[in-house]
This record gives sequence, structure tokens and C-alpha cells, in this order.
Amino acid sequence: MKGRTQKTSDEDHEFVSLSKRGDIDAFEILVRKYQKKMFNIAYRMVGSYDEACEIVQDTFVSAYRNLKRFEGKALFSTWLYTIAINLSKNRMRKIRTQLYHEQLSIHDPVQTNNGEMQREFASKEPSVLERLERRDIQEEVQKCISALDPEFREVLILKDIQGFSYDEISGMLTIPEGTVKSRLFRARDAIKDCLRKVMGDL
Amino acid sequence: MKCSEVQKRQSAYIEGIISAEERVLIDEHLKTCQRCKESLADLRKTVEYIQKLEEIEPPAWLTQRVMVRVRSEAEPKRGILQRLFYPLHIKVPIEAVTAILIAMTTIYIFKGIQPEIKLAKVPSQESTSRMFIYKEEKTHSIDEDKPAPEKRADQFRYKAEKEIPSGEPIDTAKSSANIKDKGQVAPPSPMVKQYESKRKDIPYELRARSLMEKNEQGISFVIDVKDIETARKEIEKIFTQLGGEVIKREYTKERSVIIAKLDSVKVNTLYEKLKHVGEVKGEAVALKAQEGEIEIKIELL
Repeated sequence: MKGRTQKTSDEDHEFVSLSKRGDIDAFEILVRKYQKKMFNIAYRMVGSYDEACEIVQDTFVSAYRNLKRFEGKALFSTWLYTIAINLSKNRMRKIRTQLYHEQLSIHDPVQTNNGEMQREFASKEPSVLERLERRDIQEEVQKCISALDPEFREVLILKDIQGFSYDEISGMLTIPEGTVKSRLFRARDAIKDCLRKVMGDL
Repeated sequence: MKCSEVQKRQSAYIEGIISAEERVLIDEHLKTCQRCKESLADLRKTVEYIQKLEEIEPPAWLTQRVMVRVRSEAEPKRGILQRLFYPLHIKVPIEAVTAILIAMTTIYIFKGIQPEIKLAKVPSQESTSRMFIYKEEKTHSIDEDKPAPEKRADQFRYKAEKEIPSGEPIDTAKSSANIKDKGQVAPPSPMVKQYESKRKDIPYELRARSLMEKNEQGISFVIDVKDIETARKEIEKIFTQLGGEVIKREYTKERSVIIAKLDSVKVNTLYEKLKHVGEVKGEAVALKAQEGEIEIKIELL
């Protein structure tokens, strides 16, 4: 799950070449290989299961369309991740504006939790007791992640969830390594504070 | 080291990206500061939670769905192109043919309208041309069988018999037995014109004959005058005054004859005036109230 090895790149290179030449079966192999990872990145980014499904499809379709442009200088997987993150961010922007407009409308009041705006979730908002009963920490974590601003969110996901190195992240997001680090630290602190609020003691 | 400083460096401390000296300082601080210790512990826990987030399983149909979309991207791309062009392959020729048909129809209609325009504008030209044809027809041979001109000639004859019931005894009228084209009726005004102009084209002998024959219905005077020349002039003046037309003059040593046309209504006036010119003798006055013009023959002695 964490990190990639050189083997992966060698494995992928053959299939990528075939796919470029129009071998759709070869492309399918790549799809099966990376779909879960793509899905999870998308899910962590947008916080919605359904949206993540859409993003994954869009990601692979976009990759197929733009195969010509992929020259093989970077890893194919890295290239895929970048597409997934960009599409996720686009979705997030859309959802945010939708939610914003929905807030303003009288018909559909947005559910709030402790005054915090729940962005990506149309789902139920359990009470503190319920939450503690379920002990679904993971859900809480995800909610806190969703509360982050996109630029912090992506760094956190790529580093702490996907296990990319500072250098890799720097390349993918085209930002300096120092920025990656500072953003990561701030993201972590924010999650910590958020979790404390939600869960009490960690 | 102060708490605030330690707080700042927490994350780096965890990541292990601080200098050795800094680490020592922080460790020292942590021994005594509970708050910072807890804070650090919380941070570590948080990262742990995040990193331990389980991978969520995507739906089973996801790969299939992806491939369906990818495949529809792949092949029918050409299909789409073909679909784009396919109708074009059909559309373009259809449109071209339609455009041509429209153009042809327009030209056809335009041509259909044109002759009518011509007819409306210049009827005299038409009649002149027809005249020519008829004249030629007359001078050469009447019995010749020329289908097209004969048709027109027949038209003339037919019209002549129809419009002028005074029975113009023209040879052509007599000889014409075959009126082939009764159906063709040209517009009346040109026909009438043609007939009138036709009269002028008639050879002189025939015309004269017609005049003379008409004279049976006309009037003749004999006037005894002193001076023939003066009388002649005066008579001509009179005719002009009355709106008549001198047709023929015959001035010889022995006699002078004036033949003129005059409206029958004015004959009495003429008579009165002629009395002034000279002694009107031997009159064969057929003072019938005749319509139209009458030939008047005046003989001067």
C-alpha cells in the first residue's frame, strides 16, 4: 500500500505501450490494478462514496484519452494519481458551490454539527453518544479530513494515507518540498484539534 | 525551550526532520512539561489514525463501468467520425441536387414569365413582324402551303371576315377556304392594326377597285366653275375644313376630278359650300344617312 517499487514501473511500461497502440485489454489490466487506489484517493478527497465512483471512471477515461501525451518520463501510477486528484478538486469545488447555494435556499436547510459546516456529507449526523457508541473513529477522521481546505487535504492524503514521499508529492502537485511539509504539518494539527473536539480524548 | 516553540516543532520532531541539537532540547522540555507531552502524544495519535485509515473497497462493478466507457471512447470514435461524415456523404449530394433543382425551377419560371413581359411591352413590334410575314405571304403565293406562316395568314383572314363585315373583296379573302386555326386567337388590337396596315399594302389596282366599288354608295358632284385651279384649291380647302381627306385628283386639260372621303354626316355642309364655289349641276345625291365615310367625287368644268 505504501510506496512504489521500481518493479511496478517496469510492469506498467509494457501495458502502457500496448494501450497506447490501442490494446484495450492491456489498458484493462492497468485499470484493475489501480482502481482501488484511485477510488480511495478520490474518496478521501471528496468524502463521498458515489462521487468517488464517478471520479474513478472519469480518471481512467481521461487517462485513456490522453495516453498520447504520457511520455513515460514519470511513473504511470503517479500520472494517474495526479489526474485523480485534479478531478477530485474540481468535484469539490462544484460541491462546495452547490452546498453554498443550497444553504441560501429555504427549502433545503443544511445539517450542521456543532456549528461546523458539513461539506461533503448529505448523511446522518449522529449525536455525540451515538458516535462514541459506534466508535467509528475512521468516520470521524474522514469528516475532519473533509473539513480541511483542499491544498492541505491533498498533501495529507498523499503523505499519510497514500505514503508518497515529500519529493514525489512535490512533483505531483508541482509545489516546493518545503511547502509540502509546512502544509502537511498544519493539516495534521488541524485534524488533531478537530478530533479532540469530536471525540474528546484521543 | 518554551512550550510555544516546542509546539511549533512538534510535527518536525515526529517526522524526525530536526537537527540533533533541537531534539535534545525538546526532549529535555518534554520531561518536565506535561502539556507539551500530551500535545505531542495527541499529534502522534492523529497521524496514526490517519495512516491507519483503511482502504475502502470500491464497488464490484466499477472496473466494468470504467471499461465500458473506455471502449466507447475507443472504437466508435471512428464511428462517430463516420457518423458525422456519413450523413454528410448523403446530405451533400442531396443538398446539391436540391439546389440545382431549385435553380432550374427558378430559371424555368423566369423564362415562362419573360415572353409575357415582352408581349406586354412591345406589341407594335410583334404586329410589324407579323405584317411582314403576311406581306410576303401575299406577294409570293397564297396557295403555298407553309404551315407556320399560313397559320398566321389564316388568322388574318379569319379575323378579317369577323371584324369587317363590309365584305372586303380581297383576293386572299376569297381564296381562303381553309381556316385551319380557329382556335388561335391573337389579341384583337394587333389584328385590327394589321388589317388596317394590310390595306395599305394591298396593290394599288385592288385598292382603286375597292374605292370605285364603294363609290356606288358614294356621291358625285359636277360643278361648273370659272377658274378650275382656284376652284380646285377651294374644294380641297373645304374638304380639309370638314375633316375629309382627298384621295385622288385628276387634273387634265379637259376635266378635273377630285375624289375625297368625307363623313356622311357632313355631306350637306359640303353641298352648301360647293354651291359657293360654282354651279352645282347634275348631282346624284344619294342623301342617305350613311354611317362612316363616303367617297365624294367632284368634277369641275
